[in-house]
Amino acid sequence: MNTLQSKDFLAGVAAILLGLFVVIATAGYGFGTPRRMGPGYFPFSLGVMLTLIGVVIALGALRNHEKLPSLNWRPYVLIPLAILTFALLVPRLGFGPAGVATVMLAGVAEPETKKLHLLALALGLVPSIWLLFALGLGVQLPFFTWSF
Amino acid sequence: MGVWESLELGLAVAMTWENLAYCFLGVTVGMVVGVLPGIGHLAAISLLMPLTFHVPATAALVMLAGIYYGAQYGGSIASILLNLPGTASSAVICLDGYPMTQKGRAGPALLITTIASFVGSLLSIIVLIFMAPPLAQLALSFHSADYFSMMVLGLVAAGSISQGKPMIGLASVLIGVLIGLVGIDVKSGAMRMTFGVPELFNGISIIVIAMALFGVVEVISSIGKVNARAKDNNKITLRGLMPNREEWRSSFWPMMRGSAVGTGVGILPGTGGGSMAAFMSYAVEKRTSKTPEQFGKGAIAGIAGPESANNAAAQSAFIPTLTLGIPGDAIMALMLGALMIHGIAPGPRVITENPDLFWGLVVSFLIGNFMLLVLNIPLIQFWVKILQIPYRFLFPAIVLLICVGVYSLGRSTVDVMLVAGFSSVGYLLIKLGFEAAPLLLGFILGPMLEENMRRSLLLSRGDFATFIERPISAAFLGLAAILLIWVIKGELKRKPAAAVSHDV
Repeated sequence: MNTLQSKDFLAGVAAILLGLFVVIATAGYGFGTPRRMGPGYFPFSLGVMLTLIGVVIALGALRNHEKLPSLNWRPYVLIPLAILTFALLVPRLGFGPAGVATVMLAGVAEPETKKLHLLALALGLVPSIWLLFALGLGVQLPFFTWSF
Repeated sequence: MGVWESLELGLAVAMTWENLAYCFLGVTVGMVVGVLPGIGHLAAISLLMPLTFHVPATAALVMLAGIYYGAQYGGSIASILLNLPGTASSAVICLDGYPMTQKGRAGPALLITTIASFVGSLLSIIVLIFMAPPLAQLALSFHSADYFSMMVLGLVAAGSISQGKPMIGLASVLIGVLIGLVGIDVKSGAMRMTFGVPELFNGISIIVIAMALFGVVEVISSIGKVNARAKDNNKITLRGLMPNREEWRSSFWPMMRGSAVGTGVGILPGTGGGSMAAFMSYAVEKRTSKTPEQFGKGAIAGIAGPESANNAAAQSAFIPTLTLGIPGDAIMALMLGALMIHGIAPGPRVITENPDLFWGLVVSFLIGNFMLLVLNIPLIQFWVKILQIPYRFLFPAIVLLICVGVYSLGRSTVDVMLVAGFSSVGYLLIKLGFEAAPLLLGFILGPMLEENMRRSLLLSRGDFATFIERPISAAFLGLAAILLIWVIKGELKRKPAAAVSHDV
């Protein structure tokens, strides 16, 4: 099996990329001296450390070809999408429509669930959660609104 | 303040209606999620964290802690009756608990676990009561360099012990620390890694990170994988709950040893929420038993020991968290997060400056454990019913609760989007072997780590030798170095063998 596709190698690459990202992002922050550490001192040093650890992980992968686990694709796409939908709809349409949309979108991540059952679930859940947060906890959360 | 006065104060705090109610809510929710597969206690605590914004600090901690030890109780029910571990630490309980069910001894097994949990918690709480104040006293003499090194040790332990790949664990810690640094640098006022997004100026909330990594990621990976088996559980009968004399006799010492093992392991950093304690206790019982061949076939000692151990660990984990401000695992990191949300700086001053919070929490452990003892057995049929809720109806509710919970923090849609973003990236990283728990620990300790490093170097005029010249600091760093060398050596030895087995 190809080393370049092994789990550890990709983990190393991910650490290197994240490390370099931090190094680039924090390079301009003012490093300072050890005595007077600037805002960039700590994050920049950690970015370098992360990059180096990434290199070690990737090199270690040359001896250990662990296969990449398969991803749970359908939920992986749908669940974050459902959350984004909530973020986009709540200020515009209110909690009611946003909640129903979120439950429906998240629910279809499990393909066997019937849409009608999901709708029933949404219609039961959304008002009760709204009651809990808006009335119970006093969160300002309009059920319906219209602002674009 | 003497121990008795302190406990009196704690009793007065814990017995208020409000705190009793939150304690009850906490342990009940904990029981439910402990029973349900697919929702861990981490997810449950993250889910309820937004609630803590709206209640006083003591009530918040009482509730969150209740979820934690409640889930330890609940986890054993699903393990014993159905061979489905609800939490990682209750996986051990399956080994002998389920065989007991098959032999028709489910009732006694459940009663013994309930009592073992209670005994483990109780003994551990007693250690906590006597150990925490002197430890906090000692920690008051720590300088910033000592704190820095202690946090380094905690983070190295968290990154390297809990899993098989120490390097990836350490990388997880670093990523967490870096996420923790996002926002305004308190010393210079500079914006760091905010990329011009005003919502990031005050940093990223621990609730956002916890919801994404423990809530959403768990939902994504559980869909289609849990609850397929929990259907044929109609034949559970509880013919007689009372263990016979033999069963009582052979569970007494395992409970004592399990409590000791659990209390000890729970104090150490990086030991991961009771599961290590449970496994160690199981090993101890098997070794000391006169009938080791019975283990795995329904030996009651194999339930009593680990169950005491994981509950003892759940309580003693609060010792370093509340006295030193160093959380040993992700749950303790969330507890510290809840404290910080209420403006309480974690560290040795918590006990002296907020004695009502500390002692109220400790006494609430006693009350909560008693509630669990009462809740557990009579409601057993109810817990079994809960197991039958299909996950496909549960997870959309969890997703919606996550959304509204995060949104309720500051009515910020950016926070909700951050949850979506962190869960997408987090899921991939976790699939690659990165770990959420060390990341969260790094996240919570990151800013304090920088602060203490800055202060020590300012005092030493930029001389790094300060970290090895102070004996306490040097001892912590030395331990961290030994730990690192030890795990890396283990890694080097293990790898070639592992590679061979993979090639086959």
